[in-house]
Amino acid sequence: MTMETPPPGGDLTGSDLNGGDLAGDDLPGDDGIGGSGYSLDELSDYLDRGRLPAIAAIDDNAECQSVLSSLERVSALSRDLIAQDAEDNPTVDESWLGALFASISQEAKAGRDIPLASPDPRTRLSITEGAVRELVRAAGDSVDGVLVGRCQLDGDVDSVGDSIRVSISISVLLGTPVHEAAETVRQRVYSELLSHTELTVEAVDVTVADVHIMLPGGDAS
Amino acid sequence: MTDLAAASDELLAQRSADGDTVAFAVLVRRHGPYLRAFATRLTGSAADADDAVQEALITAWDALSSLEDLAKVRAWLTSIVSRKATDRIRRRKPSSELDEQRMDDLGRGPEQRAIASSQLAALADVLAALPEGQRQCWVLKEVGGYSYDEIATELGVAPAVVRGRLARARATVISEMEVWR
Repeated sequence: MTMETPPPGGDLTGSDLNGGDLAGDDLPGDDGIGGSGYSLDELSDYLDRGRLPAIAAIDDNAECQSVLSSLERVSALSRDLIAQDAEDNPTVDESWLGALFASISQEAKAGRDIPLASPDPRTRLSITEGAVRELVRAAGDSVDGVLVGRCQLDGDVDSVGDSIRVSISISVLLGTPVHEAAETVRQRVYSELLSHTELTVEAVDVTVADVHIMLPGGDAS
Repeated sequence: MTDLAAASDELLAQRSADGDTVAFAVLVRRHGPYLRAFATRLTGSAADADDAVQEALITAWDALSSLEDLAKVRAWLTSIVSRKATDRIRRRKPSSELDEQRMDDLGRGPEQRAIASSQLAALADVLAALPEGQRQCWVLKEVGGYSYDEIATELGVAPAVVRGRLARARATVISEMEVWR
């Protein structure tokens, strides 16, 4: 049972049941395209296999070559069509976006609870790992020409004063002095963690993983 | 103020995996139009496409940290959109009336078909005129890059059905597009 709309005058299930036998379904005669012995569908399969292993009866047949290039062309056009559709409608609807962001869960990304010292023994204070990562990102991003990528906190954070190692990857704007930028990031992240958390920061490792450029439209590098 | 719009997909995906909604919004704005276009051609319905893309992005947000090659985020998002869109297709009641209505969302209407002004417009019309199941298989294979077996799984039909639909779609598309060579 399929949801197919039957093509006019065609028997859908008849050839569907042929399974692997696909030779000549859509073609007049039995000797295939250009007398090569290969059907349109077999040529398509050949294309899907990257024309390997090479079949001389296809490669040396002008009509087959023409059909292969037609197949490639409509395939490329199909991808172009979607790209064109996207270009024609380049903006996302704000209410749609709003609904999306109302549905995604922040909690899933909050990570561990990192305890903070409390002046009142009856009260437990903590900051989430996610919030600490946000601090780290903001500190790194505040450096000119720097975007923070991944941010990882390694080490136990079960009790106040536990020591951690922070690893972050950054991308720098093309032309930004890399060493200087990385060092500034390291310092800012360190001092930000010092003033807003009670973690003992053993080290801040900064990896420059990428270089980005500003395009006129502000688009991706 | 840093401009995340300049960031690579990989960096945005890393930040999103770490819980940065602002970075995720940049990714969504960047790839949303493509995902929507893909889902619209696949489902034949702009409304279904919007819902499928939204569901896919909610799933993606939760699953981002498990994605190994973050630079390939668009291809990964497209695969989730395919799944959500084909879920919708499978849930639909088969109804030729509805199908015809959906067809009108695509292409540019039959009266304009004869005067398609470009190859792309012509292809849009040809695809819109295909029976729905054929068009779905075509989009999944040629744009999504899926194998026959993968398409069969996604659409919940036998691989032989996919093969048959693609054979028909291929014959139609090739012959209709012949004049544009």
